[in-house]
Amino acid sequence: MTTTTALAQPASPLKRITNVAKLHFANPWTTLGLPWIILGVIFVGMLTVWWLIYSAIDESARESALEGTQFSGSSFFIYIYMMVVAIQAISITFPFALGYGVTRRDYYLGSALAFVALAVIYTAGLTIISVAETMTGGWGMGVTIFAPVYFGAGIVERIFVQFVAFLFFLFFGSAIAAVWVRWKATGVTMFFIVVAALLVGLIALATFTDSWVAIGATLVDLGVTGVAAWSLVLTAISGVAGFTLLRRATPRNAA
Amino acid sequence: MDDSRPIFAQVAENIENDIISGALPEEGQAPSINEFAAFYRINPATALKGVNVLVDAGILYKKRGIGMFVATGAQEQLKGARRDSFSSEYVRPLLAEAEKLGIDSAQLTQMIAKEANNS
Amino acid sequence: MTSTIEVTNLSKHFGKVNAVNDVSFTVAENKIYGLLGRNGAGKTTLMQLLTGQEFASSGTISLFGQPPVENAKVLQNTCFIKESQRYPEDFRPKDVFKTAPWFFANWDQEFADRLIADFRLPLDRRIKKLSRGQLSSIGVIVGLASRAPLTFFDEPYLGLDAVARQIFYDRLLEDYANHPRTVILSTHLIDEVSNLLEHVLVIDEGKLLINEDAETLRNRATNVVGMKTAVEAFIGNREVLHRDGIGGLSSVTVAGLSESERRDAHAAGLELSPVSLQQLIIQLTRTETKEFEASA
Repeated sequence: MTTTTALAQPASPLKRITNVAKLHFANPWTTLGLPWIILGVIFVGMLTVWWLIYSAIDESARESALEGTQFSGSSFFIYIYMMVVAIQAISITFPFALGYGVTRRDYYLGSALAFVALAVIYTAGLTIISVAETMTGGWGMGVTIFAPVYFGAGIVERIFVQFVAFLFFLFFGSAIAAVWVRWKATGVTMFFIVVAALLVGLIALATFTDSWVAIGATLVDLGVTGVAAWSLVLTAISGVAGFTLLRRATPRNAA
Repeated sequence: MDDSRPIFAQVAENIENDIISGALPEEGQAPSINEFAAFYRINPATALKGVNVLVDAGILYKKRGIGMFVATGAQEQLKGARRDSFSSEYVRPLLAEAEKLGIDSAQLTQMIAKEANNS
Repeated sequence: MTSTIEVTNLSKHFGKVNAVNDVSFTVAENKIYGLLGRNGAGKTTLMQLLTGQEFASSGTISLFGQPPVENAKVLQNTCFIKESQRYPEDFRPKDVFKTAPWFFANWDQEFADRLIADFRLPLDRRIKKLSRGQLSSIGVIVGLASRAPLTFFDEPYLGLDAVARQIFYDRLLEDYANHPRTVILSTHLIDEVSNLLEHVLVIDEGKLLINEDAETLRNRATNVVGMKTAVEAFIGNREVLHRDGIGGLSSVTVAGLSESERRDAHAAGLELSPVSLQQLIIQLTRTETKEFEASA
C-alpha cells in the first residue's frame, strides 16, 4: 500500500544553521586543504631563501639581516587568501543551498558560523607553528616567518590579533561575495570604487587637517591589540552588510 | 497507448483483452494500479480510472487490503458485449470499404468463406 | 482535496519585462503537474517565485498554507532541481549525496544508490569534469531521492540521452506510486512526459494559458482526415483548431469527439488520428513547431 510523503518535522534552527556550516566543509579542499598547502609552499620557499642568504653572508651581517625578517609579510598571504575563500564559499554555495530549500537567513548564519570556525582553526594552526618557530630558534637560523612583530609580542596577544584578523578578512570577503551574488560584476566594481573613494577621502581628510602625526600617535597608543580590537567594528559592519544584502539576493545564473 | 481514445479507456480495453484471452483468469488477482501504471508508463491516476471502469462494470472486484480480482463470469460478459458491438465495429467498416472498391455483398461473402477455409 | 500551492494574482516584473503576469492557480496535493511552455515563457521564474528564490512584484503565494519566502518550515519540504543548478566546483558527486540528506528529512539513501547505478554516475570525479548529462543526472537523483513533499524539476534532463530520460520517467512513476507527493515538472519535451502528467499548466509570455486535467486536455482534440467534401460535411459548424490540406484531401483538428461521432466519422470514410498534447499546445499557443522539437 502507498504511504503519503509526510511533511518533514521542522528541524531546529540550530540544526539548520549547523547543517549549512557543515556544507562549507563537505569537501574541505577549498576551505582547509589548499590554504595549508599554499602556506606550506611559502614556508619551504622562505626557509630555502633564508638558508641561501644565511650561508652566503658572514656572521657579522647576519644579525641585521635576520632582524629584517621580523617584519616579514609572508604569512600575510594567508589572510588575503581567507578573504578569497570566503568570497568563493558564498558565491558558490549560495545558489546550491537555496536549491536545498535553505532560507537566506539560515544560510548566512550558518556560513558565519563556518567562518568563525575557520578563524579558530587557522589561528590555532598558526599559533602552533609560531610556537614551534620560537622553540626551534627560528628554524635553527633565527628566521621569523610566522611570528612577526606586528602580531604582538606575547602568545596571548598574538592569538587575539590573528583571530581578529582572520575574522575581519573572512567577513569582509563575505560582504564582497554578497555584493557579487546580488549584483554580479557591476556591483563588485561599484563596491570597490566606493571603498577606494572612502579610503582616498579619509587620507585626504587626514592630510588637509594635518592629522597624520596625531593618527600615528593614536595608533602607537592603541598598540597592536588596540588596533586589532577596533577592526572588530569593521568586521561587524561587514557582517551586517553581508547579511542585509544576502537577504534580498536571488540565485540567478546569468551575470 | 497511442490511438486517439482516452488512455484510461485503452487501459480498460487492454485488461479486457487479457481477460477474454484467459491471460487473466476469473478469480485470479489482477495487477495493482501501480503495476499497471509502471507497465503502461502512465500516471497512476489514469490507470486507476481505467481499472474503475471495469470495477463499475462488475468485471473486476476489490478485496479489501488484498487487491483486485477478476469476477466469475467476467469473460463471458465481455465476450457478449464484444459480440454486440462486433457488427458496428468490424462489419460496418468492412462494408463501407467494400462499397468504395465496388465489391458487392455476394463477392464479400465468398471472400470471407475463402479466408475462413484457408485459416 | 488539499491544495499544496495557492497562487493569487502573482506578477513578477524585471524592469519593463513581465516575466510572470497576473497568474492565479492552485496545485492539488500528491499529483504530478506539467508546467509547459516555450523557452522564456516564464516557467523558471514562476518556480523560483514558488520556492522563495525570487521576490514577487505583486500577488500572493501560499505553500502548505504559508508564504514561502524565507520560511524554513515550508522550504524544508521543497526540493527545486534546476537545469542550470550550480554545484560547488570542488565537489564530487559523492559530496553532493553526502550533503543532501542533511537538508531533506525524507532522503532515501538506498534509492539514491540505485539511481546512481542506473545512471552510471561516477562518484569520485570532480563536478567540473562531468559531462552535461552526468551533471543533469545528479539533479535528477537528488530530486527523486529527496522525496520532498513538493518537488520541482525544471528541465532536469539537459544532455541526458533517451535511455537515461526513460530511466528518469520510470523511476519517477514507480517511486511516486509508492510515495505519492506533489511533483511539478517543467519541460518542452511534452510528448515524452504527456502520459505521466495528471494535470497541465501551460504558460505563455508570463500568462497562464491552460490549467486543465491532462486527460481532459488529451481528449480535447482529434484530427479528422479525408476527402475535403466529406471532412467539411462532417465538421459542420464545429470549432476548428487547425486546418491543413493537400489536393482534395483535408486534415482538420476539431474538439474531442464522442463514441457515436467517431462511428459516424468512420462510416463517412474519414480517418481519425490523435492530437498529441504537444501538437495541441502548439496549436493553442500558436507557436512554431520547431521550438519544441529543436532542443534536448
